[in-house]
Amino acid sequence: MRLRLRTHLGPKAAARPRLLPWRAGDPAPLPDMPFTPGTARWREGMAIAPGPDWEKAGAAGMAVLPEGTRRAVLDARVLRPREAVAMALGALLRAPPGFRLDIWHDGEAAALVLLCRDARAVLKGVALARCLTAAPGNALTPKTFAKRLRRLEKLGIAVHVLGRRQLRAAGFGALLAVGEGSVNPPRLVVLRWRGRIAVPPLVLVGKGITFDTGGLCLKPAEGMEAMRTDMAGAAACAGAMLALALRDSPAPVAAVLPLAENAIGGTAYRPGDVITTLSGQTVEVVDTDAEGRLVLADALTYAVRAFRPEAVVDIATLTGAVITALGHHRAGLFGNDPPLAAALCAAGEAVGECLWPLPIGEGHRRDLESEMADIRQCATGRHQPDACHAAAFLREFLGETPPAWAHLDMAGMVDEPADRPPGAAPIPGGFGVRLLDALVASRFEDPHRT
Amino acid sequence: MPDILFVKPTLPRAGALVLPLAEGFTLSGLAKEADEATGGAIARGLEAAGFKGKKGQSCTLWAPGGHLSRVVAVGLGAVPDERGAEAAGGAAWPLISGEPEAMVAAEGLNAALAATLAFGARLRSYRFDKYRTKESAEDKPKLVRLTVASAEPEAARAAHAPLSAVADGVFLARDLVSEPPNVLFPEEMAERCRKLEKLGVEVEILGPKELKELGFGALLGVAQGSAREPRVVVMQWKGASKGGKGDGKAAPVAFIGKGVTFDTGGISIKPAAGMEDMKFDMAGAGAVIGAMAALAGRKAKVDAVGLVGLVENMPSGTAQRPGDVVKSLSGQTVEVINTDAEGRLVLADVLWYARERFKPRFMVDLATLTGAIIIALGHEHAGLFSNDDDLAQKLAAAGTAVGEGLWRMPLGEAYDKALKSDIADMKNVGGRPGGSVTAAQFIQRFIDTREGPMPWAHLDIAGTAWATKDSATVPKGATAFGVRLLDRLVAEHYEG
Repeated sequence: MRLRLRTHLGPKAAARPRLLPWRAGDPAPLPDMPFTPGTARWREGMAIAPGPDWEKAGAAGMAVLPEGTRRAVLDARVLRPREAVAMALGALLRAPPGFRLDIWHDGEAAALVLLCRDARAVLKGVALARCLTAAPGNALTPKTFAKRLRRLEKLGIAVHVLGRRQLRAAGFGALLAVGEGSVNPPRLVVLRWRGRIAVPPLVLVGKGITFDTGGLCLKPAEGMEAMRTDMAGAAACAGAMLALALRDSPAPVAAVLPLAENAIGGTAYRPGDVITTLSGQTVEVVDTDAEGRLVLADALTYAVRAFRPEAVVDIATLTGAVITALGHHRAGLFGNDPPLAAALCAAGEAVGECLWPLPIGEGHRRDLESEMADIRQCATGRHQPDACHAAAFLREFLGETPPAWAHLDMAGMVDEPADRPPGAAPIPGGFGVRLLDALVASRFEDPHRT
Repeated sequence: MPDILFVKPTLPRAGALVLPLAEGFTLSGLAKEADEATGGAIARGLEAAGFKGKKGQSCTLWAPGGHLSRVVAVGLGAVPDERGAEAAGGAAWPLISGEPEAMVAAEGLNAALAATLAFGARLRSYRFDKYRTKESAEDKPKLVRLTVASAEPEAARAAHAPLSAVADGVFLARDLVSEPPNVLFPEEMAERCRKLEKLGVEVEILGPKELKELGFGALLGVAQGSAREPRVVVMQWKGASKGGKGDGKAAPVAFIGKGVTFDTGGISIKPAAGMEDMKFDMAGAGAVIGAMAALAGRKAKVDAVGLVGLVENMPSGTAQRPGDVVKSLSGQTVEVINTDAEGRLVLADVLWYARERFKPRFMVDLATLTGAIIIALGHEHAGLFSNDDDLAQKLAAAGTAVGEGLWRMPLGEAYDKALKSDIADMKNVGGRPGGSVTAAQFIQRFIDTREGPMPWAHLDIAGTAWATKDSATVPKGATAFGVRLLDRLVAEHYEG
């Protein structure tokens, strides 16, 4: 993937397939064309794409390029810089790996250069998240995942990895319980971007189950292969950290990523086990397939203790219930801080990764009362509001004075969206990177914020 | 249901005395008198029990002396408010219902809160025991009269009158929802609506012949498997036009309820376990009927229409099949993929009819529509779907005020696409993902906006219509969720 700016086209570049934006009210680029936003047409070497949603126009234009196209020119002369980059971003998010796009413009390069840098950062972040999410469970284990994240050090991100021995010494009882059924032991990866503002950081927490068999509460065979994506939350956090570093964000941000494989074995944890979490609270395990909330519990405790953060946002492919609730068009949003929730919703709408608030009621917490431990991991029986239960569970692990916290249940957003433009390339994962990046940009980069 | 009397404070000579107390209380008024009459036993007893007046806290002191058989203290919370007074009344009820007489020492509360406390007790007193033939008198509540001592008994009585009408509406709805399905079927339920005529409601019943002539194809498709005939009941309360203020031409508010008196699922039959619960699949209709009774009972200055679609969903040789295509009243065709997604078919025709006939200011439908809403939200909130932010906000606020919580859920084109059918205008199901949202999208296709915006809200009450355990003002069983909410919505915004 490459994105470049140019003010002139040589003969070779002029001959390349072109993306041509079409603004409402302007004459049709070619006769007999209807102005239909969200769709594009391939005519005479041009993918003609109507606005005003330029990102969508870019995606639609990309979808109609002839198969095998590797390079194209975006004729952005009629667009403002922000519109041009939105269109390029929309196109490149749908583009095959290695695709090269030139933005052809006339003037105002300063604004374009900055916007392009940010767009490249986001594209790289999304690409990293997708690549991690698509990796099969045998290739991406907690160890190899952590190793992959070490490469971020080159970009100025501090990477700290806790192995099994350190986790045991520190008391990560929940993460260890989930991970110890596997021959691939768990890890906790901590990424830190210092930024330039001297304030407590925002901490991202991402669920990283590299493969989820369900454990002893084994999942059905059908569809289990998709469980390699059960680390998409951690991948989103890693992608967002990469984007922040590449665009040199002034905001201090950290990511805490609990990585484990939920496997079956003689050492696997059992339903009925009581485990002592890092927080000291005991948890009665009911369903070994509700493992995500356990690894997140320890990670949240660690995040709050280690960083005393301004805010914590966790993101996870956590429950099937959230898919029943919101389908594949919106992720569930829970939390304890309305301004943070509002900022997340706004960021989501801005980048097309939409959220919807869901409740944590008193009854949801009551449903988790345990007779033998401090809390039960989930409720039993049919028709349970499990996404709400999971959120109520996580809320218990924010410490004595909880920071602003939001929890994103993105289980429905791993598969490609059903509404992708016809013909567009499938996009495996990547949800969350742009959302978290936009959240940081909108809420955590102002040094004078109160 | 106990009679409620409001009197000037005088210490009772027998029975139970209820003391509603806020946090940091000192005994005063009747409470102090009683404490003195018992030689300080009440103060000592509350101290020993650790009673602090917190919300939800209660404590019973047996035979403290002074001829009182028991003293019941109930907590009001830090500052007595409407919700707290109601909950305190509800909490008191089971602790005093064994006494023939009881008095509430509410003279420290203002008249409105005293009335609300009595209302709470009455709401909790509901009992559906008509089919218990062997229950002895001893096991039944004995309390027939609850006396409320108030500094301003006249004002409290006046404040209680409309609440009493609302309680009547709640009880009516609970009765309808509790009735077994062999007793309550569409024809019987329609007949029970007729009782609203006594309150001044105009009641009109449409039978299968009329429905066929009008073209209620979707509703009739659901009903065709049952030996019981369907009904649509139209209830009109003209409180604004008849009450003087209106000219009879103002657009009414419209409430629409799903009334599947029993839902087997039809040919797409449900599993046996839990099927008995499906007698409450008419709870939306029950709530609408109860709300109409409440509005008429308290002579609300509003023009309101309530419409309920009543059917029984049964498998049989004449039942609708998966794969059938039905033509709805709107003219749109529906491919029936799952005969257990029948509620939306009933609502589709009734909503269309309501809009065409009454041109209402807005429409709110209530339905036990999807299991998915329980998985989404649980049992504390009903799902709220709306095409109008203002109406949604007013509904949510009314729900919060009366303790019937709503949670807004999304709508959107992306969800609507799941309803695409290969052979008809739409399918009746959109799959498991976002199941409640796609159900709402289906209903929205029958909100006619050709002649301008039609504010509409859909409340999915599948998780809130039935309670599996007691709460302060709602005993286990039928909750009548929606009656108080709709009544409050009207009272806050649409009267005068």
